[in-house]
Amino acid sequence: MTNELSANEEIFPKGTNKSYAIVELVRGDGPMVGKGPEKTVFSFPVVLLWEVLLLLGVTLALFLFSLIKQAPLDAIANPQVTTDPAKAPWYFVGLQELLEHMHPTLAGIIIPGILVLFLVSLPYLDHSRTHAGVWFSTRRGKRITVWTALYTAIAMIAFIALDNAFSMRESLRGVAPPWVAQWLLPALILAVIVLIPVVVLRRKGASTREVMIALFTVMLASAVVLTISGFLFRGPGFEMFPPWNMPDGYNPWNDF
Amino acid sequence: MAQSKPIERLTQSRVWRSFFRHGWPDNPLDRSLTMTSNIFFHLHPVKVSRKSLRWNYSFGLGIMAAILYGVLVFTGILLMFYYVPSVERAYPTMKEIQLSVPLGQFTRNMHRWAAHAMVLVVILHMARVFYTGAYKPPREFNWVIGVILLLLTLGASFTGYLLPWDQLSYWAITVGTNIAGYAPVAGPVMRELLLGGTEVSQNTLIRFYTLHIALLPASLVLLISVHFWRVRKDGGLAANEAPDAE
Ligand code: HEM
Repeated sequence: MTNELSANEEIFPKGTNKSYAIVELVRGDGPMVGKGPEKTVFSFPVVLLWEVLLLLGVTLALFLFSLIKQAPLDAIANPQVTTDPAKAPWYFVGLQELLEHMHPTLAGIIIPGILVLFLVSLPYLDHSRTHAGVWFSTRRGKRITVWTALYTAIAMIAFIALDNAFSMRESLRGVAPPWVAQWLLPALILAVIVLIPVVVLRRKGASTREVMIALFTVMLASAVVLTISGFLFRGPGFEMFPPWNMPDGYNPWNDF
Repeated sequence: MAQSKPIERLTQSRVWRSFFRHGWPDNPLDRSLTMTSNIFFHLHPVKVSRKSLRWNYSFGLGIMAAILYGVLVFTGILLMFYYVPSVERAYPTMKEIQLSVPLGQFTRNMHRWAAHAMVLVVILHMARVFYTGAYKPPREFNWVIGVILLLLTLGASFTGYLLPWDQLSYWAITVGTNIAGYAPVAGPVMRELLLGGTEVSQNTLIRFYTLHIALLPASLVLLISVHFWRVRKDGGLAANEAPDAE
């Protein structure tokens, strides 16, 4: 009688915090073998420590930067006196650079609109589940990224430099109607720049993901080139100056 | 865990136990309860995979964006105690913040640089998500929410840019809003709606101020919450779906 009770108590102990029990042990190579709990860690405290570290790091960096660099404050706004150059903040200066090369509706509305549409529809265009969670998906994906970035940088720098040297707007004045220089040609040039990698990849039998990698990289690399050009290479009158030859008293870093 | 008598008395007290519904987190059960019984920690699952924690998978960029947003809210509220959004008073209050408010210049610096950093970090986070293919099903919708977050972040930065009411901000906003005017058909109406008139004026300042301190931050909080919730509902980071490295 007493024996039975203690056995019972051992199986169903009272007043413990234990909410689990070993039911049985199995040997096997089912889908969960090797993916069991040993590949996970408790969020407490590992994840929280990571987050506290990031919090401290980010705040410390901001703290130090704020000690050495003051936020700019210019003279009080005066609608009568235009500043030269009137530059957008850095994240829009790429757009401002684009505006130099084509009709404002194309550069300021249509192209940004297409980019947002591209971003929103991207996961619905490339909906395969393979290779998620891996940087560049495959080795080939990485190569495509690098080469597309390089190609885009060269193409966009050439586009900006050539249009700056032989302005389409000026050289076609009187030769062709304004919409050719302002709309048709720039749109055509950009479309060709975007489509070349797509066509090349399609011919090589690339997957949708790989085409998307190329398109996204064209977008990102173009944005970087345009931003650098607008930020570092544009001086008074938003004219093109090399940074080492910027007119005196004008420093793009002053008020970014 | 061996604890001294007074600490034990405290942690066993009715008040303490009404706050914390778990014991000292040195065992699996209490570690789980720590996460699930706290509203903030509850954003995380009890256990996470090592793969998703690897720093060179996410670079912590999403978390950093959220931290920067927190810094912006904190410093922004401090600035709001002094700043007056009127054409006559905005610039003088900025001067006042810089010259006579204790740590005013420093607070303004933090707010400004955190804003620039947040735009950069959000763009990098988007690039990270793209190149790791983390937008693929079932995460499509969270990517779309992300795109809206990017636009809101840019909007918050842009509206804040006008508030100092100096030459820099006045002309940058003039250039920026002129672009809106070039939209086909709706352009002039859109520009006028944004400016509250035909040029940057008091109406513009109060509109940008309201967007900057109320509408955009509230939308950001809402969508960041949805974004985090979806990360969990979609099974954590996409790294979990990657084949095991070993
Ligand atoms: C205010 C801006 C944003 C905040 C605070 C934010 C925050 C986060 C956080 C904390 C994560 C968890 C993983 C990580 O830390 O990287 C995450 C994941 C994710 N974010 Fe964001 N995010 C923002 C903007 C964006 C943008 C602009 C996009 C894309 C256009 C995006 C798409 C995603 C996706 C798809 C995931 C899941 C990633 C995965 O499973 O690997 N987010 N976000």
